[in-house]
Amino acid sequence: MSMSKEKAMAYLNEPAVLCCQRGKGTVISEADLEDPTIFADLQDSGLLSIPDGSLTVGDVLGMTLNADVEALTALRPSMLEGGAAKPAPSAAAGGAAPGSVTACGAAAPAAPAPATPGFGAAAGTAHFDAPPALPGGPVTIHVDSLQGLDISFPAGWPALYGLCGAVPGAEAPVAAASGTAAGGAASVPGASGAAGFSAASALGASGAAGFSAAAALGAAAGLAAHTAPAANPLTHKYYSVQNVKLGKKTSFSSGTLTIDSALTEKALSSSPLVKQVEMDIITPEKRHIFTNTIMDIMPVAVKCSGKTGEGTTAILDRVVFCLTGLDEKGVQIHEFGSCEGYLDEKAAFGRPGAPDDDDIIVRVNVTIQENTGMERRGPLAAHTACDVIVQSIRDVLKATDEAPAFTKTYHDTRRRGLPRVCLVKEIMGQGAMHDNILLPNEPAGVIGGQKNVDLGNVPVMLTPNEVLDGGIHALTCIGPATKETTRHYFREPLVHALAADEEIDFIGVIFVGSPQVNDEKMYVTERLGSWIGSLDLDGAIVTTEGFGNNHIDFAGHIAAIGGRNVPVVGVTFSAYQGQLVVGNEYMDAMIEINKDAGGFENEVLACSSICPEDASRAQLMLKTKMAGIPIAPAERKWSQAVIDGNQWLADQA
Amino acid sequence: MKLTTATGLKSEVFAPVTPPPVWTPLKKPLSECKIAFITAGGIHQKKQDPFNTAGDYSYREIPSDIPTSELMVTHGGFDNSDINKDVNAMFPLDRLRELRDEGFIGSLAGTMYGFMGGGGNVDKFREETGPAIAASLKAQGVDIVVCTGGCGTCHRSAVIVERACEEAGMSTIIIAALPPIARQQGAPRISAPHVPIGSNAGEPNNPAMQTAILKDSLNLVVSMQHFGEMQVLPYEYRHNV
Repeated sequence: MSMSKEKAMAYLNEPAVLCCQRGKGTVISEADLEDPTIFADLQDSGLLSIPDGSLTVGDVLGMTLNADVEALTALRPSMLEGGAAKPAPSAAAGGAAPGSVTACGAAAPAAPAPATPGFGAAAGTAHFDAPPALPGGPVTIHVDSLQGLDISFPAGWPALYGLCGAVPGAEAPVAAASGTAAGGAASVPGASGAAGFSAASALGASGAAGFSAAAALGAAAGLAAHTAPAANPLTHKYYSVQNVKLGKKTSFSSGTLTIDSALTEKALSSSPLVKQVEMDIITPEKRHIFTNTIMDIMPVAVKCSGKTGEGTTAILDRVVFCLTGLDEKGVQIHEFGSCEGYLDEKAAFGRPGAPDDDDIIVRVNVTIQENTGMERRGPLAAHTACDVIVQSIRDVLKATDEAPAFTKTYHDTRRRGLPRVCLVKEIMGQGAMHDNILLPNEPAGVIGGQKNVDLGNVPVMLTPNEVLDGGIHALTCIGPATKETTRHYFREPLVHALAADEEIDFIGVIFVGSPQVNDEKMYVTERLGSWIGSLDLDGAIVTTEGFGNNHIDFAGHIAAIGGRNVPVVGVTFSAYQGQLVVGNEYMDAMIEINKDAGGFENEVLACSSICPEDASRAQLMLKTKMAGIPIAPAERKWSQAVIDGNQWLADQA
Repeated sequence: MKLTTATGLKSEVFAPVTPPPVWTPLKKPLSECKIAFITAGGIHQKKQDPFNTAGDYSYREIPSDIPTSELMVTHGGFDNSDINKDVNAMFPLDRLRELRDEGFIGSLAGTMYGFMGGGGNVDKFREETGPAIAASLKAQGVDIVVCTGGCGTCHRSAVIVERACEEAGMSTIIIAALPPIARQQGAPRISAPHVPIGSNAGEPNNPAMQTAILKDSLNLVVSMQHFGEMQVLPYEYRHNV
């Protein structure tokens, strides 16, 4: 495909492969050579082989072919005039010797090379002015851009200076697996690589990442960042359930939930599309039971006081609703792939979006009008019918006199002055039936919520507590293994992890849809970008469920964030079946959430969705990227070993 | 301020660097569609000026009713012998006319285009050649644009023009001998028969294979649902020069 001059300079050490047939006498330039970034794909396709002894780009530029050579041939010395021997590297390409570490060393022999982030030794053309080798010399900090810098002197000044790795005898405050924040690029004379990071870190200098330097300096001087819990915390009161049965009247007493079996009739009347509603109870020891495809898993929760995300919510512990569905013709509804089969084989029990091993499952099976299973109205009718039953239980739970078994309180704590991080969760919005309901009247309910598709898929901000309080009801109709159910949002591990992280200021969760129309995709992506730009973020994590066409939005969202110089980590299922078809340079720090041995969407509910381990890797990777520490590029093929290695690091942290 | 970090982390998902997606969904059956074929493989009329094989962003009009005996190739990036035997190996005009006559497709664009993508100037193709060809095809009422590359750089030039057509509101597919290049350059749809550079549309003088590749590719325009999809086709031809 040929290369530009700049690209050729960046790939001087890569094999030289002719992009097109070239004749004897051709003086080789970058325009004759194939782009090395696609060698692996060409090799996989059997279109290219690179034998040992092949020459590099740097070797062949300016050399002359001594015979006609076919396209996609790796050049060898025998093909070049006077080229029987591989030319010495120093002769290559106008003297730009591959690997400039040597050159730097020659320029400043007395100075240990400062290991500044981003200086890849293999880059070939990288160079920098070597600083004088004076311990305690000037600290040079390069900042590409800067926002909101507040510096107050002199209170922390001596302490600050003492933290600099450049000072002889000073202890660098960085260990291998724990460091402090840095952004931009810093070079510190005489400092080792680790100290180079820490010096910049201690200064809190960051333009691109935009950390508040005031906070960093304050921390160095022993001042605390300003931590402020939300005015109205959220309290979840959990009521223990030991037994669930069907009966004549809905009640909750002494750990026994009785559900009026006639509620199925009430549910049936909720929509003319609903033709039949069945309900049964599946206890933990009866999991080997056939089930239609699982559309959703939902908690039973009701607001006792306050709005979604604050006040008090009552929740039944160890009980979930499981919605399954068919159409009148017996067709499994609404899935891209479906998970009908034996329940014990078709759900990844214990995942945030699945039932837990010891949960009692109330199964509601809804039959809807034929041929509406893949239209928006069909699945919505099924969810609405199920919610009629859940609502009757909510009404009873709200009025209960029972004592809660335990409570959990969430404070939505803002840690102002610390790096500002937001979570972007991409939700479906295609073909309308791939929808989500935002902020229903009751936690995880249906009624009163706004439909993501009707909102035009534009970004909507929720507080972390709104998410954890059932602010999302998922109609999501993508593959069972990779979809995020209503319960997933209720227990979203990334929200929990970021909210609990005392090193950051977690500002909230942006939900953004994945539209069906390409133009709308661009529109939505740009709206997200504007939000991100206005929020003065220091870091963001973007997640998506499913795979395929939504990866276009996913890539767009990451570019919209990364393009605004905000460090960003992407979280997705990709593995084998979901390999990305689009990408950009900002997708350089990615978390894989596949859990299938073969890397497929295996139609086991919630199998390959985000779990706490994935969240811990994403969290560590983001903070590492925010600190300016390089994340090694991904291998071209999905590798469980890479994931395991990252997990080990996350577990240590 | 402290951030818990780690050295040695590695990104877990490979992301190819591609241009932004472009996508025009097909909204009618093939039997009602007007089809255009374009090629970056250096095809032109014998009476026209040949391409400059060192790099040329100009293009040549090819009337869809012209006998294929009046077409030829000028391209320095690959062995020309297959096209010299049968121009349908790169520009399957005879096969397209047969598909039209049997009703598989609705009609053919009156004017189609050949260009020589080898060593093509990216900016010129992006800013001039691509939009010009796209505008002409759109003005003819074309619904689907099928294209072939040629060599590696030809695939790049072909995809640039293909993307211009897609942006102008036509559904496109490239029959790619080098699918990794088509994918990296951002082709909206890719079909990939096992064919060498120079016979991108199938073995010369093998109408059955050429027809099958065309039909499969057109059917893929109907069935593919999102940007960047690629389908390997089960046809194999090797030539040894």
